Amino acid sequence: MTQQIKGSSGIIEPDLARRVNLDTAEHDVINPDLTRSPGKGRRRSPLRWIMLAVGLVATLALPWLVYPPVAMDIAAWALFAISVDLLLGYTGLLSFGHAAFWGSSSYVTGLIAINWGVPFPLAILGGMLFAMAIAVPIGYLSVRRTGIYFAMVTLAFAQMVYFVANQLSGLTGGENGLQAIPRSFFGIESVETDSFTFYYAAIGLILLGTWAAWRIVHSPFGRVLVAIRDNPARARALGYDVDRYKIIVFVLSAGLAGLAGGVFAISHGFTSLQELEWTTSGKVVLITVLGGIGTLWGGPLGAAIVVTLEDWLTSSGFEGTGIILGSIFVLIVLLFRHGIWGTTQDLFQRRRKAD
Amino acid sequence: MRSRKPAVLVAAAVCGCLALAGCGGGPSAAAGKFSDGKVVIGLLNDQSGVYKDVSGPNSKVAIQMAIDDYKAKYGAKAVAKTIEIVTADHQNKPDIANTKAQEMYDRQNADIILDVPTSSAALAVATVAKAKRKLFIDITAGTTALTGKSCNKYTYAWAYDTAMLAKGTGEAVVKNGGKSWSIVYPDYAFGQNMNKSFTEAVTGAGGTVQQSISTPFPNDNFATFITKAASTNPQVIGIMAAGGDLINFVKQYNQAGMQSKAQLAVGLMFITDIHSLGVDQFAGTSFTDPWYWNLDAQNKAWSDRFLAKTGTRPTFAHAGNYSAAMNYLEAVQAAGTDDADAVRKQLDGKKINDVFLRNGEVRSDHRVVHDVYLVKVKSKSQVTQPWDYEKIVATIPAADAFEPVSVDCKM
Repeated sequence: MTQQIKGSSGIIEPDLARRVNLDTAEHDVINPDLTRSPGKGRRRSPLRWIMLAVGLVATLALPWLVYPPVAMDIAAWALFAISVDLLLGYTGLLSFGHAAFWGSSSYVTGLIAINWGVPFPLAILGGMLFAMAIAVPIGYLSVRRTGIYFAMVTLAFAQMVYFVANQLSGLTGGENGLQAIPRSFFGIESVETDSFTFYYAAIGLILLGTWAAWRIVHSPFGRVLVAIRDNPARARALGYDVDRYKIIVFVLSAGLAGLAGGVFAISHGFTSLQELEWTTSGKVVLITVLGGIGTLWGGPLGAAIVVTLEDWLTSSGFEGTGIILGSIFVLIVLLFRHGIWGTTQDLFQRRRKAD
Repeated sequence: MRSRKPAVLVAAAVCGCLALAGCGGGPSAAAGKFSDGKVVIGLLNDQSGVYKDVSGPNSKVAIQMAIDDYKAKYGAKAVAKTIEIVTADHQNKPDIANTKAQEMYDRQNADIILDVPTSSAALAVATVAKAKRKLFIDITAGTTALTGKSCNKYTYAWAYDTAMLAKGTGEAVVKNGGKSWSIVYPDYAFGQNMNKSFTEAVTGAGGTVQQSISTPFPNDNFATFITKAASTNPQVIGIMAAGGDLINFVKQYNQAGMQSKAQLAVGLMFITDIHSLGVDQFAGTSFTDPWYWNLDAQNKAWSDRFLAKTGTRPTFAHAGNYSAAMNYLEAVQAAGTDDADAVRKQLDGKKINDVFLRNGEVRSDHRVVHDVYLVKVKSKSQVTQPWDYEKIVATIPAADAFEPVSVDCKM
């Protein structure tokens, strides 16, 4: 009987499910319940604190290491990737339409900032709420399907949003984009004009979003999500309303994507249809997979690599940016099947066992 | 003790990633001030995508030609002793253009950015130019917003805009007898604007637009739209699509045997479009070109120099980049500094006659007006040498070619 239910559970790809499944069994880093098990937990918690500290230092040091606007891009894409990971890694839903939330939030953020001139965190909040609002109907209709069908339905909705924005050229500027979005921040001039200080003003929002994702994943709610990912039929049998959980996490994920998109729009001072294009949805999935799904750390790592690489290639004089990024992606998927972070984790795991 | 090892490894991994992330460049530098006599020209365009041939890497060659000419002209008197070009590939993505423009101004100490195809990318760079108070001369992007709603003191539009294309082709074709029109346009802002401008130009010149047909964008199959456009037997069919859609439309237009039934007028076309699809496919098509390499001896001589360096004939974008760089350097020479505000004063209102601009003038809204040309694509038998694709039908004088100064432009 169990076997039957398991067999019928077939979410996204059996392979993916199995791999994430293995992870949860082996890697307590993403499994708080196991960490708490006697003997194991105490030994590993310092590691997590060290990682957290290193991550925080890296985040704060970023604008010293790379050009500040690029650093802001990395941070925004990192949160965007985390929002996708929330669905892909923890709920087993591959959304191929997340640009709809990132992009629509960037437009709404921009419109609020232009028309009302409010401090930028408020504008971003508005954009985020809008992204969550449109995620409700989209999520409601999408979560009825899983796997490739879910991906296609979300892609279709994202394309709808794209064309709506394209047609509403009076509001969105059509393919010219929305220009001259102000960066108001309580009249503090260094934040408004200098991208270096702006980074520190805006990184709080990104960290808040990341913290929210961490809380979601490590809450009882997050445990149910993982249960749904691993075996939706069993989760349903246990009395969980699977669709409702999926809709809620979809909306939360859209909110995080919207938060990231809003920061991106404010940082650049404009937004355009590119943020709504399907290639943006593709790029964020690429970043997530590259970093490693189901890890939360994978997103920031993937974002750092992809954004820096793109930035570097654009001024390298080399004419095939796409070829390089594509080759790296192929190599990573072939050689490090769990993404960079996932593979690193695996290595530790193996060493630990060997010890 | 056992827990230490992974911790160290994780730390090492994170540091490694940081090092990787850091390879983009060192610590942030403050905005550069001109002091060392060095002028840096930034070329920001599409070096790998659809506009690679229209402008792309060869524009760097054109700018280098301008630098060489400037140095040859002024010799020891040149105030700019060292002139550098920095380039970046924006891949037609506005957010990359935006970041790269900031980086060019801030970190590479660019004094001016040139080119920037794709309207959204050009507008994104204009925003940066305004914020950083540095110059930006747009050549390859054709949006009227650059000199309209989004105009600013530091941004110039050097070559063309969509309104000028519509005005040129629309009015001139009507004057030459093409009175009844059907217009097919892609249904997004560019297409809608072109349709509006063309309709105004055609009716203003005494012609009639029988129907305006919108198509999805992007689109592959234009058969039904071509049939519909031909149903009222117009003398002229105007197509406002660009790039891949234009190529598809023209192929299907010819396959439908329309070439003999109605004259084709194209909104926006580059000589590279003709080159890639073959001159026969476009034979007889009318469009407005801001510049043509084989117009006269002056253009031809410059084009020969360009050909010797690149192995290809220049598009108007290449000549435009040359002209913009040259005039910028002349302005620097006159101002004696590369301070953006001083150079800007030299450029404003300047009347220019050079290889690219005939009867050119930098207008108060920073639109550079100049003579443009109504051309017809030659048939294969008329082509005497490679890239010899265009026959000049009429010269549209600078005063008539462009729309008047926009009321939306407040600098």
